[in-house]
Amino acid sequence: MYNSLDIAVSGMVAQRTRLNTIAANLANQNTILDASGNPNPYQRRFTVFAPGDGNGGSGVHVQSIEINDAPPKLRWEPNSPFARPEGSPDAGYVYYPDIDPVTEQIDALEAQRAYEANVQAAEAAKSMMAQALSILA
Amino acid sequence: MNDPLGLINSGGFSPLDPLRGDRPSRPQGPGQTEGPGFADVLRENLAQVNKLQQDATTAIEDLQTGKRDDLETVLAATAKADNAFRMLLQVRNKVMDAYDEIKQIRV
Amino acid sequence: MFIDQVTNAGALPVLERMLQFSARRQTLIQHNIANLSTSGFQPKDVSVEAFQAQLAGAVDARRKKFGGQRGELELGNSRQVTTDGPGSLRLNPVSSGRNVLFHDRNNRDAERLMQDLVENAGQFRVASDLLKSRMDLLRSAITERP
Repeated sequence: MYNSLDIAVSGMVAQRTRLNTIAANLANQNTILDASGNPNPYQRRFTVFAPGDGNGGSGVHVQSIEINDAPPKLRWEPNSPFARPEGSPDAGYVYYPDIDPVTEQIDALEAQRAYEANVQAAEAAKSMMAQALSILA
Repeated sequence: MNDPLGLINSGGFSPLDPLRGDRPSRPQGPGQTEGPGFADVLRENLAQVNKLQQDATTAIEDLQTGKRDDLETVLAATAKADNAFRMLLQVRNKVMDAYDEIKQIRV
Repeated sequence: MFIDQVTNAGALPVLERMLQFSARRQTLIQHNIANLSTSGFQPKDVSVEAFQAQLAGAVDARRKKFGGQRGELELGNSRQVTTDGPGSLRLNPVSSGRNVLFHDRNNRDAERLMQDLVENAGQFRVASDLLKSRMDLLRSAITERP
């Protein structure tokens, strides 16, 4: 019966990881430079879940955090120091990350709802354990 | 007045004069005059409690197998059967205690 | 012989079986809830009605054989629920998709899953409380203390 708490917690952990990814996406929706200062827009990350806990048990785990390689959004800013230089494709445009805050927020809502469902499942497991114990006492 | 052992005005026997000849009349057997005796009442209640318990068992099994879905009726029937059993057990305990006391009366 | 009449008395075997079933099914439902967002996942469940029918068959057999107040309950096997004895119960869940397939090929139905969770926990609780009350009654009969 203890592993039923494991299952619920694995769900919570997975959803929280997903929420962290979404938060990173939202925070970086206007990040046009990479860590070394070159114009390399942030790319949206997303989590991939898989059933099981990696060892054959039940539950869910984050299999990987993938990078979405969609093409960046273009914004016409010819006077920006980060605009694409003359002669290159999209000259005068600045590459922005292709992150839509509305989509991210809806994903966040869904992650939150799934998290709450897992919390309810954990509560149910706890109360069933207490019930089973009370058979003896 | 109920007098199962026939001690009152029984054929002339007087507690003040134990040497008079007449024997006291025999104690009335169960069910012979006014109503059932204690043994009959006990037996009948035992059968009733048994039936209540068996009905409760059947109700619980039917609830678990889906043949009935009225949880509250089954719970009430179970509680009643349990109370009846506990009452009978308590009565039995009192009777046993009374018998123990009577056993210890020095004659 | 007489110990068996205490361990298999009345409704105790049925309640034990329902307890086992609810406990095993709880892990199934939790697995489904944990995988609400997993793409390609299909929720799996066992049918409560089928198990209750299986139980009903075993109960009827016990009633016919022993009179209904004693005797072991022989559950037998079905496609979804198998057992090797009074202490073991195995579930073989099947796909229980009741909803449309989402874009991530998961046919989750969160509300029905939560309902299943609550109902299953309720079933467990009823069986456990009834079992406790039967045990208490047996104990009060044995100790002669009402």
